[in-house]
Amino acid sequence: MPLLELREITKVFPGVLANDRVSIRLERGEIVALLGENGAGKSTLMNVVYGLLTADGGEILVDDKPVRIKSPRQAIDLGIGMVHQHFMLIEPLTVTENIVLGREPGHYGIIDFTTARERVREISERYGLKVDPDAKIIDLSVGMQQRVEILKALYQGVRVLILDEPTAVLTPQEVTELFTVVRSLVDEGLSVVFITHKLEEVVAIADRILVMRDGIVVGETTPGATDEVGLARMMVGRDVVLRVEKGAGTCGGTVLAVEDVHVHDDRSLEAVKGISFSVCGGEILAIAGVDGNGQRELVESIVGLRRPSSGRIELKGKDITHANARASIEAGVSHIPEDRRRRGLVLEFNLAENIILGDHRRPPVARRGIMHPRAITAVARKRIADYDIRTPSERVLAENLSGGNQQKVVVAREIGRDPELLVAAQPTRGLDVGAIEFVHRQILRERSAGKAILLVSLELEEVLSLADRILVIYEGLIVKEFAASKTDAETLGYYMTGGGGSKLDTGTGARQIATPSAGGDQ
Amino acid sequence: MLGSIITPDLFASALRMATPLALAAIGGTICERSGVVNIALEGIMLCGAFAGVAVTLAIGNPWLGIIAAMLAGVAIAAIHAFTSINLRSDQVVSGTAINILALGVTGFLMEIMYGHPGTTEAITTIKPIFRFASESGNSFLGTVWHWINTIFLSHTPIVYLTILIAVVAQWAMYNTRWGLRLRALGEHPRAVDTVGVSVLKGRWVAVLMSGALAGLAGANLTLEQVGSFTENMTNGRGFIALAANIFGRWTPMGSYEASLLFGFADALQIKLQIFRGQINIPSQFFLMLPYVLTVVVLAGVVGRAVGPASVGKPYEKG
Repeated sequence: MPLLELREITKVFPGVLANDRVSIRLERGEIVALLGENGAGKSTLMNVVYGLLTADGGEILVDDKPVRIKSPRQAIDLGIGMVHQHFMLIEPLTVTENIVLGREPGHYGIIDFTTARERVREISERYGLKVDPDAKIIDLSVGMQQRVEILKALYQGVRVLILDEPTAVLTPQEVTELFTVVRSLVDEGLSVVFITHKLEEVVAIADRILVMRDGIVVGETTPGATDEVGLARMMVGRDVVLRVEKGAGTCGGTVLAVEDVHVHDDRSLEAVKGISFSVCGGEILAIAGVDGNGQRELVESIVGLRRPSSGRIELKGKDITHANARASIEAGVSHIPEDRRRRGLVLEFNLAENIILGDHRRPPVARRGIMHPRAITAVARKRIADYDIRTPSERVLAENLSGGNQQKVVVAREIGRDPELLVAAQPTRGLDVGAIEFVHRQILRERSAGKAILLVSLELEEVLSLADRILVIYEGLIVKEFAASKTDAETLGYYMTGGGGSKLDTGTGARQIATPSAGGDQ
Repeated sequence: MLGSIITPDLFASALRMATPLALAAIGGTICERSGVVNIALEGIMLCGAFAGVAVTLAIGNPWLGIIAAMLAGVAIAAIHAFTSINLRSDQVVSGTAINILALGVTGFLMEIMYGHPGTTEAITTIKPIFRFASESGNSFLGTVWHWINTIFLSHTPIVYLTILIAVVAQWAMYNTRWGLRLRALGEHPRAVDTVGVSVLKGRWVAVLMSGALAGLAGANLTLEQVGSFTENMTNGRGFIALAANIFGRWTPMGSYEASLLFGFADALQIKLQIFRGQINIPSQFFLMLPYVLTVVVLAGVVGRAVGPASVGKPYEKG
């Protein structure tokens, strides 16, 4: 008897058929991966199950009984829990407060925090999800926050746990830990739906794989019966190059020279502790490291968003150490920021406005301080065509584009400006294989054009396939340099974690994974 | 001269002056913690002040006046709740409109009820609870008793009630279901919604509570302190209360303590005016004192004070 069954679920958004008669069965104690590109309808389907959206057709059965799920509360009462991509956690509150919210133990409206804490500890020990019940969410790493989300669902007594792109924000170590947790949940009798577009994860974790494309289930398979190439073909509907080929690199003279740069972070602690390197024209230099080891501060100091406290940064011999963002752009530095929604785009602006940001002071976009709408439209249309941005028009608001198309807008703007140096920070974060392939091709095209590229990425696959040289950053210092052809992911991982030391996720300590808070953009 | 400025009744006066500010500030704290900005505190306080006097004049019982003031506050707050929660309009605009409305409505009602603008007839104010005799200077112990008696034991009921409200609200915010949900609401309403707690209901309750407290603040002004209603008599206290809420970092006790500071500035200002003959400074400068302090406090502190993340943002289910 299936625990959860979906029959012919249909969901229509204005102009889009997001789910077209999708049927899925979930058995007790299995991990089903829902694989598909962004926009394939995976999250829509699961939001229907979780009561955040209402289906236009079809039915949902729990324990073979038809049910109507109109709100998350009803879903939870039926034993269905979901961990969203954007966490539903309240940052200033403690772990315990977040977990018991809505079902607080106690009498007469007074919360019994001793009991609450005990229950949290009980569940966290049972499933091996260690976390300090009294820590505040804001002090936890992203991986820890995700654990709290899972604990929250377990506290509510769910039997089915839906994980929506759970690894998108995690470091490789945290992904491994998550997989361990998911397996222990299944051992305890839970069923897990794992939404993802990452092929290697599917193969590693799933019992069964359902592939979705354009709102329908296009295939069902098991990890044993297929491989990543086969999955990619099912998912995209065509052959996909997972590793873009590139020719040998050339050095056309030093473009970027960084000398003994020290940078402080927002808390005035030294995040970059004296880094020196240089990047040639026609070369991709990658900086690999676990998030929060000074990469962000280093990148910001190069692109003019943060002042280094000492050291020197030169672009083609010109001192840009103290250049601000405007001077930096004018000197020829382009920047693909790590967070496209917060830093790469003005979400409330339309696509045309976003695509000329940074060029808004110079011809043809503006002359003598006056913007020229017709020129803006022309530039925007050209870039939309050149970079294959899928949009009905250049007047669409950036927030209404899919993640892949948003990133294409950023890439189109930054590369379209024809820079000397391209600083790409996590340029493929959260993108699906088709979009990743596109971004990688663009970066390699810049390399062939003799531009210097500084790539900062947490994805070792990406670093290894794109870079000519790799620097490993650890605690604000470059600890090792490799030629990309002479190393592998394991070796990099070893140096990234402090030479195999135990500097892994310590939970409540220093905020290792310092991503911007999720609270602000809700 | 310093000895005649720093007297027990300066501190007693500070405590009195702090009371309406603190009530409104705690109301503001509760409201903003739920995610709704309540800039209408000023107008609500004014309506409460008027309703208190009007009912007391009509019935002759100031205790019923207090209840009327709180009900008036709740009624005005309901307008704010409806526009900002249900209609999802801009909360600052809604609050500003209510402030203007309150000014107009109280002035208009004065005209039709009493036939003249300006100030109403006087009512008998509510008297202090305790009356212990004490005087200064007889002996050391006598002086100590005089200070204690004057500063702490010379007050009207709402002054003590306010301290009680601050303590209870502080405790409730961190120990009860209501408090936890309130703190969660202003930060991440969607998270609250997904665990099955109604955002709408939670915010309505919080806004109405702030209305009751700001109404009570108005009652304290007219029924305990002044003894009559004058047009626009709140004179910016609602806004100072908002500043006190921020200075108190969105906590009830913090709001109370910040209100004490502003209340002290007000008391000092009044005291200094008595000595304007000796101090050669125009009295207008003394009058400015509480407001200057507000600006200084906000400029100096707000940079570091972080409010609830979702305050001012209407919640849309979706």
